[in-house]
Amino acid sequence: MRNAERVVGLMALVSLIFFISGCAKHGVQQVEGPTPPSQQEDVITGTPDMELDMPGSEGDVSAAPQAVEEEIAKFEQDRIYFDFDKFNLTAEARKILAEKASFLNAHPNMNVRIEGHCDERGTREYNLALGERRAKSAQDYLVFLGINPTRVSTISYGEEKPLEAGSGEDAWTKNRRAEFRILGN
Amino acid sequence: MKKILSLMIVLAVVFPSVLGAQRLHIDIEARGFKRMKVAMPAFAGPKELADSVWSQCAKDLEITGAFSLLNPKGYINPGPISFIEPGTLKDWALIGADYAVAARVERQGAQVNLVVQAVEVSTTRVVLSTVYTTKAEAVHRGVHAFMDALMEKTLGLEPIFSSKIVAVQKVGKKKQLYTMWCDGTGGAAIKGGGDLVLNPAWSFDGKKIAFVSYWKNNPDLYLLDLRTYKVDLLSSHKGINVTPCFDPTGTKIACTLSKDGDPEIYIVPLGGGGAPERLTRSWATDTSPSVSPDGRKLAFCSSRAGTPQIYVMDLVTKKVERITFQGSYNSEPVFSPKGDVIAFIHLAEDRRFHIALIRTDGTRMKVLPGTGRGDESPTFSPDGRLVAFSSSDGNIYVTDFMGTSVVRVTDTGGFTEPCWSPLME
Repeated sequence: MRNAERVVGLMALVSLIFFISGCAKHGVQQVEGPTPPSQQEDVITGTPDMELDMPGSEGDVSAAPQAVEEEIAKFEQDRIYFDFDKFNLTAEARKILAEKASFLNAHPNMNVRIEGHCDERGTREYNLALGERRAKSAQDYLVFLGINPTRVSTISYGEEKPLEAGSGEDAWTKNRRAEFRILGN
Repeated sequence: MKKILSLMIVLAVVFPSVLGAQRLHIDIEARGFKRMKVAMPAFAGPKELADSVWSQCAKDLEITGAFSLLNPKGYINPGPISFIEPGTLKDWALIGADYAVAARVERQGAQVNLVVQAVEVSTTRVVLSTVYTTKAEAVHRGVHAFMDALMEKTLGLEPIFSSKIVAVQKVGKKKQLYTMWCDGTGGAAIKGGGDLVLNPAWSFDGKKIAFVSYWKNNPDLYLLDLRTYKVDLLSSHKGINVTPCFDPTGTKIACTLSKDGDPEIYIVPLGGGGAPERLTRSWATDTSPSVSPDGRKLAFCSSRAGTPQIYVMDLVTKKVERITFQGSYNSEPVFSPKGDVIAFIHLAEDRRFHIALIRTDGTRMKVLPGTGRGDESPTFSPDGRLVAFSSSDGNIYVTDFMGTSVVRVTDTGGFTEPCWSPLME
């Protein structure tokens, strides 16, 4: 019983993702700045699962989880970067966050945890606070874009988890970042 | 303490008449203070053991900030010598020694005897002549007892080798607490706090350590009782719960929380009593609190003026004053044990982070040379004469306020965030 339900649910989810990713592809050009959140919510809430799980063929089912995984992987790989000792969002960061908001709207069952990180310069203690503010900036923007605050949590790692080891502007630029982790609901 | 040390001063044959009263006040700003020169020929006894004890004595002499070892290459008799013959004192005077130290190291079953004699060259006074008996695996405690006695009897200084340093040790990808005597000996990891442990801070009585752990997937504050090794959760609000610093009464902790939006300084009562009291209200980042030893002031770092700078708050009137104006990055203030000086991290003109000192009223800022490779996390020795810190090579160093010597106390790397304990009984 439970398994059958799960399969149906999964198929629904998969179809939904296909549907939305199809939409998103066409919509990407428009989604530059802060998008009015209502638009995307309409798409989702207005889409009944049952309808969409109909066309699912065997081939689709096996390909689907991978597609979701890929989408999640992309979501998690797209980081946003900050200037030294800053936590304000750059135009580039806003664009990436708008894409993330769109993804989160499309996947209402997924939550995100934002990790704030710093480069090794400055003190560990100050960087714990700075990392927190970076994560918070990203969180605030997602909430501004219409994502429910309960779906977005933050954690600061300060300078403890550099993406790139070593010193120098190259490493520092990559390490001053926020990362995004999808959490199940 | 985990290791029970059997340290006994078996014999103390000293000329008592000359000991006592004279206590020198060593002013940190007295640029004229010169380290006492010590001649210490090789120790007598089984060579390997004698040499290793000699090396530790040499390292500890440098750490004191009060002595400097004369290069053995210049000695008329480089040793091994187990006793300073009165007739040879002029030889030590000739090379400029203020004190001559000789010792014999003996193995006695599972114990080691360190038989030391120290003589003040100019007066021929025997400063100390003592046998320190320790277990073979704790010979460093004999050296500590000797060093503490030497500092006490020559300059009236406090026994800093009866104090420890807690630090964060990185092992693989994990970070754990690590304690050691202040010269790096007797090191022991404190495991089991999760993958990421940060910001250790001693209580004023040395019996507890507050620290940050990501044990529950969030930077939360914990309190370790060093008698039982039991850990209690202190603060786990949403957001960061970091940078603990004890209040001198031991009843509360100053820390940084972001539960109300952005990082602010709070006072959290210990023992489960009451809500955190918020001390700062600023749009900016406020962090790294340090409570003064009299409990009346709080130093902290804030970016409210655009860059991280040091501020001091009067805890009674809540009035805040900025005390650093030099440079674009000043952070991690800590009060000295006397409360008159604050050490902090300063981004200096060479674009490196250095330890700096400043009076609490913002005058007389002084940048210490340190390692010159990027220094962090200053912490005062219990007598306030020395500062330990971590450097970018992952080792812990001790420097005096003159910056005339910077002694590395760890060698394996992987260490950050040292915090120096008060004197242990």
